[in-house]
Amino acid sequence: MKPFLLISVCTFLLSCGSYPKKNNFKSLENFGAIVNPYFANSNQDYVYKAQIEVYNHNFGGLFIMKKIAAEQHRIVFTTEMGNTLFDFSFNHGDFKVNYILDDLNKKILINILKKDFKTLITEKLEPIETYKLDSETVKKASLDNKTYYYFENPETYKIIRVNNAKEKVRFLFTEINNNIAKRIDIVHSNIKLKITLKSIN
Amino acid sequence: MRNNLLYTVFFLVVAAQAQTKMTDSEASHLKNQVKKLATSTKTITSDFVQYKHLDFLDNDIETSGKLAFKAPNLIKWAYLEPFKYAVLFKGETLYINDEGKKSNIDIGSNKMFKQLNNLIVSSVKGDMFDDTKFNIQYFKTSKNRVVYFSPKDEKFAKYIKTFHITFNENGDVTEVKMIESTGDYTKIVFTNKVLNKTIDEAFFTN
Repeated sequence: MKPFLLISVCTFLLSCGSYPKKNNFKSLENFGAIVNPYFANSNQDYVYKAQIEVYNHNFGGLFIMKKIAAEQHRIVFTTEMGNTLFDFSFNHGDFKVNYILDDLNKKILINILKKDFKTLITEKLEPIETYKLDSETVKKASLDNKTYYYFENPETYKIIRVNNAKEKVRFLFTEINNNIAKRIDIVHSNIKLKITLKSIN
Repeated sequence: MRNNLLYTVFFLVVAAQAQTKMTDSEASHLKNQVKKLATSTKTITSDFVQYKHLDFLDNDIETSGKLAFKAPNLIKWAYLEPFKYAVLFKGETLYINDEGKKSNIDIGSNKMFKQLNNLIVSSVKGDMFDDTKFNIQYFKTSKNRVVYFSPKDEKFAKYIKTFHITFNENGDVTEVKMIESTGDYTKIVFTNKVLNKTIDEAFFTN
């Protein structure tokens, strides 16, 4: 019984540690702003084939993003056959639903997507703290009152949203070429939601 | 002088593309032609190119693939470029193969999907001349004939406002344009269309 209690206490104490501590980050002097270049070019149509796994259901479509102007983005999701499922706009701080299929018109879903997409389109952030982890630089930042860690090697390739020192959402940018991530994975750990985006243009 | 030339060129361009309304007899001729062809069509195979137009994009999104139809209502829509994705419409079920990931959707319970499914089957043949379901308008250009089908069902119209179906001289569909309520559209252009040739059953598995 006693060892079990000890383990429980240790686990509890460990789980109370901060995210950097738990992951062996070493503090560094500030290393400059966070840069996310993946949806920052207004001359580029960003078109991705999307696969979404939500609670063991699979569905696909096209994820389309355009930077209309500085701090203005349009995001449209269509079926492969071209029918629009949702159409969102970000205009500076404002978020607008231009269209959403009745079946998908759920506040909880819209909020999740809004938060994820806001992370994708946020191009610059000032870090609160900077850390070193092996050869990588990790920058902590706050966006809409949520805590994020940006991993750079040397460009940003991973973003983790953290709550209570636990990973909640992971954004992974791979096959990077010319500031375009040919593949983006968005994995939620508190809900069964996984979005895979593969560039098709 | 220059302006005159400009106006003339402009007028010629507009005139060449101008659509005029068909007369009643032209419209009923087309309708009969399409219905006759649709009834005698047992199979269709075709290549297609799909253009998704969104006003805010610099370029339309282009995808392409192959389509096969077998009467009465078996359809496979297979995208080959730039990704592999196939939908097989078979009875009350949609069989999807998304780059190797397979899934089914039971459309029997979903009125909207059922409607869409029926429309896809009928739009491939162009046989959508149902006055109870659509407001129908007939146009002709110098090259071909175009019919506008606007769904009367309000819920459906929110999804697709109008179908523009282009027919060739035989009454066969060469282009389907689905216009959404926002004005954005999906245009599908058919090429290498072959009617009534036996299709290998294996093509209709997913």
